[in-house]
Amino acid sequence: MSFTITCPICGKRDLYEFRFGGEERGARPDYENLTPQNWCDYVHLRTNRPGPQREWWFHRDGCGRWFTVWRDPMTNRETASSEATR
Amino acid sequence: MKRLPHSPTQRIDTRHPLPFSYGGRLLEGYRGDTVATALFANGVRIFSRSLKYHRPRGLYSLDGESSNCLMEIDGLPNMRAEQVPLRGGMQVRPQNVVGSPERDLLGFLDAFHWAMPAGFYYRVFHKPYRLWPFFQTLIRRAAGAGTVNPSWEPGRYDELHFHADVCVVGGGPAGMQAARAAAQTGLRVVLLESRPWLGGFYDWRTVEHHGTPLYERGRHLARELESLSNVRVYTSCTATGLYGDNLVTAVQEGGPDDFFHQRYLEIRARAVVAATGCTERPLVFEHNERPGVMQPGCAHRLARTYGLLPGTAAVFSVGHDLGLEAAADLHDQGLHVACVADCRSDGQDPQRIAALEERNIPFLRGWVAARALGKKAVEAVVLSTTEGSATRTISCDVLAASAGLTPLTGLFSLARLPLSYDERTGYFLPASLPEGLYAAGRLVGYDDPASIELSGTAAGLRAAVHCGALDAPRADEALTELQDNHRVLRGSKLVLAPGAGARSFVCFDEDATVKHVRQSVRMGFDVPELAKRVTAIGTGPSQSGIPGHNLPLIMAHLRGESAGTLRPTTVRPPLKPTLLATYAGLHPDIHKKTPLHDVQERAGAVFRRVGVWKRARYFSSDPTCRDEILNVRNNVGILDGSTLGKFRIFGPDAEKALQRVYVGDMSRVPAGKLKYSAMCTEDGCLLDDGVATKLGENDYYFTTSTGRAGATVEWFRFHTRHEDWEYYLVNLTDSLASINLAGPKARDVLQQLTDADVSNDAFPFMGYREFRLKGLVPARVLRLGFVGELSYEIHIPSSMARTVWQWLLEAGRPLGIRPFGLEAQNVLRMEKGHVIIGQESEIRTTLIDLGLGFLWDRTKTWAKTVGAPALQFAESQEGRLKLVGFLVDGSRPPLDGSIVVDGSIRGHVCTCRYSPTLDKAIGLALVDDDLAALGSRLRIFEPGDPPEYFDARVVPTPFYDPEGQRMKC
Ligand SMILES: [Zn+2]
Repeated sequence: MSFTITCPICGKRDLYEFRFGGEERGARPDYENLTPQNWCDYVHLRTNRPGPQREWWFHRDGCGRWFTVWRDPMTNRETASSEATR
Repeated sequence: MKRLPHSPTQRIDTRHPLPFSYGGRLLEGYRGDTVATALFANGVRIFSRSLKYHRPRGLYSLDGESSNCLMEIDGLPNMRAEQVPLRGGMQVRPQNVVGSPERDLLGFLDAFHWAMPAGFYYRVFHKPYRLWPFFQTLIRRAAGAGTVNPSWEPGRYDELHFHADVCVVGGGPAGMQAARAAAQTGLRVVLLESRPWLGGFYDWRTVEHHGTPLYERGRHLARELESLSNVRVYTSCTATGLYGDNLVTAVQEGGPDDFFHQRYLEIRARAVVAATGCTERPLVFEHNERPGVMQPGCAHRLARTYGLLPGTAAVFSVGHDLGLEAAADLHDQGLHVACVADCRSDGQDPQRIAALEERNIPFLRGWVAARALGKKAVEAVVLSTTEGSATRTISCDVLAASAGLTPLTGLFSLARLPLSYDERTGYFLPASLPEGLYAAGRLVGYDDPASIELSGTAAGLRAAVHCGALDAPRADEALTELQDNHRVLRGSKLVLAPGAGARSFVCFDEDATVKHVRQSVRMGFDVPELAKRVTAIGTGPSQSGIPGHNLPLIMAHLRGESAGTLRPTTVRPPLKPTLLATYAGLHPDIHKKTPLHDVQERAGAVFRRVGVWKRARYFSSDPTCRDEILNVRNNVGILDGSTLGKFRIFGPDAEKALQRVYVGDMSRVPAGKLKYSAMCTEDGCLLDDGVATKLGENDYYFTTSTGRAGATVEWFRFHTRHEDWEYYLVNLTDSLASINLAGPKARDVLQQLTDADVSNDAFPFMGYREFRLKGLVPARVLRLGFVGELSYEIHIPSSMARTVWQWLLEAGRPLGIRPFGLEAQNVLRMEKGHVIIGQESEIRTTLIDLGLGFLWDRTKTWAKTVGAPALQFAESQEGRLKLVGFLVDGSRPPLDGSIVVDGSIRGHVCTCRYSPTLDKAIGLALVDDDLAALGSRLRIFEPGDPPEYFDARVVPTPFYDPEGQRMKC
């Protein structure tokens, strides 16, 4: 498997340069009243739906930035432009 | 065998004879020969014996489509002799024979073909199951596909990774025109050609197009292309894969002047043009693989490229105009062509038929070879009308047979494009191509030079449009001209010769015949993917080279359906067999050296790889490091700890970020003091440990373990990615060196280098100070105790590291200072019960399992610390492994990784060493919690030959100086 990822800072680069950070699943849950089940779901459960999803990538061999891209894991194509974090 | 007179199409150089040996005989070929053509020139006609029936097999094609020419060459088994360029001194040996290919003692197996139906091995030998290992050995021996030579020296392998705008696969006329057209728009173009030269079908043909012989035209195009500075041409280079976003992989064979044996290429292209052309679709008839039967193209190229007449008298049974052309040309070269049969009832190029008539070569329209006669070689052929109504027998020693052409669609299959049957060409081709992938030439059915070249130009221009180098209308012009003025060929529709059955081979590699396919259909395995599994068709060394698109056509025919109802089987990468050594590639040992590498090397250090680093493991040949250890305990030692991760974090939200990733409360890190803390994964498992100190408001300095330094920024940023926090992380790992000065006399050494007060009162344990050494070198000094003695970790600019190292050695010389390595440190810290992440912990070991739960501050829930909820849930969890110290009965320690057993596996040894300080074998182990109580007996199993058992007892840690007096004094 191989595809490219478009870093908002460096542009389109080989997959090898990046680390995958999983699909975007929102901010960390509140720790008050957290059950083991909720925590486990947050840490381990993914929706794995076919079709475009917003996901995190880290440009490890490049600018060292985390950013999100919209990508369709069925085709491995990006579907919208990426957004960098601070 | 005498070669034909020199002709400009030839690729051999008769001025350069090359001696080589074949099965003990000394033979001679020429530069430019392949191993197979050189053997053919020396009269070799039987190249191997087949897998199951040990039938004789000869030279059938020249591009490695079958296993017929698999040989051991220079110690490497399973080499395709028809593709390996001959080199002087080569050692060539036949394989899969008992005796020689000519007199194979297992040849009798052929008489028992009726006893080996489809799926024979699976169906016959699986009962009783206990006998399978016995049969397996027998079968493997009889069907041996070469023997691996364990002492083979791999030689040199290379790899190239690069980008291109356009990657053209196939260096025939279409590929060359595509490359030229794209290159003329200024794009960077790469052209891959699997043969050693460009030219494709043009290379050996003398027929003229616009007054120029095709071979000359081919060479002209090649020269033109090679003169373009923005085109890189790789010959002897086969594309092996096509992946997402046009990643092309290829394997290149090293020539006599190359420094590599094989080379792996990985090309990220913006556009790909497939111009892989066609091969010949094997004609399936009785005894269609007898030595002497070969593809017309093979016969033609033997003569035109290698100067070898394929025999004396030939019969042709063809399904395409190239075969007619070959027959006429070989006649002119001196081969007696007894007859040409063409399975097509019409549609031939009239010029080609006229050429046969001129030469008085009998031409049979609608006829086909139905059976080859002769035991070890073809002696005659039975020709038949395609419907089998009439036959005639003609003597010959060469039978050039082909059912027509078939496109090389491997790249399309790898791109996961569904193939569908095209009625006109009879080819399986993708109905449409995705953006960025274009196809041209014979591959898509163009047949005459003009349309082949124009289709290449059109594809190259469309690729240029895709890359943004050209406006679309320019490319559309070429495409319109192509579509208006040129038509693809009408292909041969013949599936099987009349009477094809038990000796009509669909797959040469696996000795699978039409009968086997028929049995497979009858058993219900009636589609190619199933038939492939039960008959093994296409699973041999050449994969689907011979069965290819024949298999779906034959199966549809046997099912009584029209051609095209079934699809070819899936093709998987690599498209060409590739040596594992090539994938291993250069395997260069790329590592980092600390600024103290050279001085330690001069002091006799033995280095070991640790993560990305080379680190000094020992300073003597004594693996127990007894002297190094005792010198730290009694005097003072220095260790290069430069690989330690060193970071500064600052900015308004720096403390928040620390609170997020560290389990401790980092708001309580005082200035001038160090706080030891740890980072966990979201599962509460230990990830990293280190110390931190406060430099100012929201300004901290902290250390990480060697292995985590590279990923620290990533970790911080990932776990704060949803926050809009402003903080800056600076990785100082490489800019600062670290020297650990440890031992009871450490202070005496340090005091000599500074005016600062380093007394125990002024600079106590867990203190942090910044001062200059000798008034010059700025140092950050951390008073820690990893090895359990008074010690200072001195962080200094990397450029000053060697100077400071020398100063310390000079100052410490009267006190007995000496460097120590990682192994000594490993024993010293283990005596002290300090853990090393990855050694005492694994991916599922929590902070609490290691007895480090006290590091976790459970009050700061607002910080949403990474892994904190998991620690809370794991705290009361039963059945977890716990870290314990143990004392071995006896003085020899079991190896690290030995397992703790009592009928079942109860844990494992993390580290165990003989402690010279305590004169005992001690260790740390992760064991089931019910074994963790003090005094528990542990039984330890050390694998080996013979394996050994050890007895041990759980004891308290630290083993050494439990009160920590020595590091605090
Ligand atoms: Zn980047």
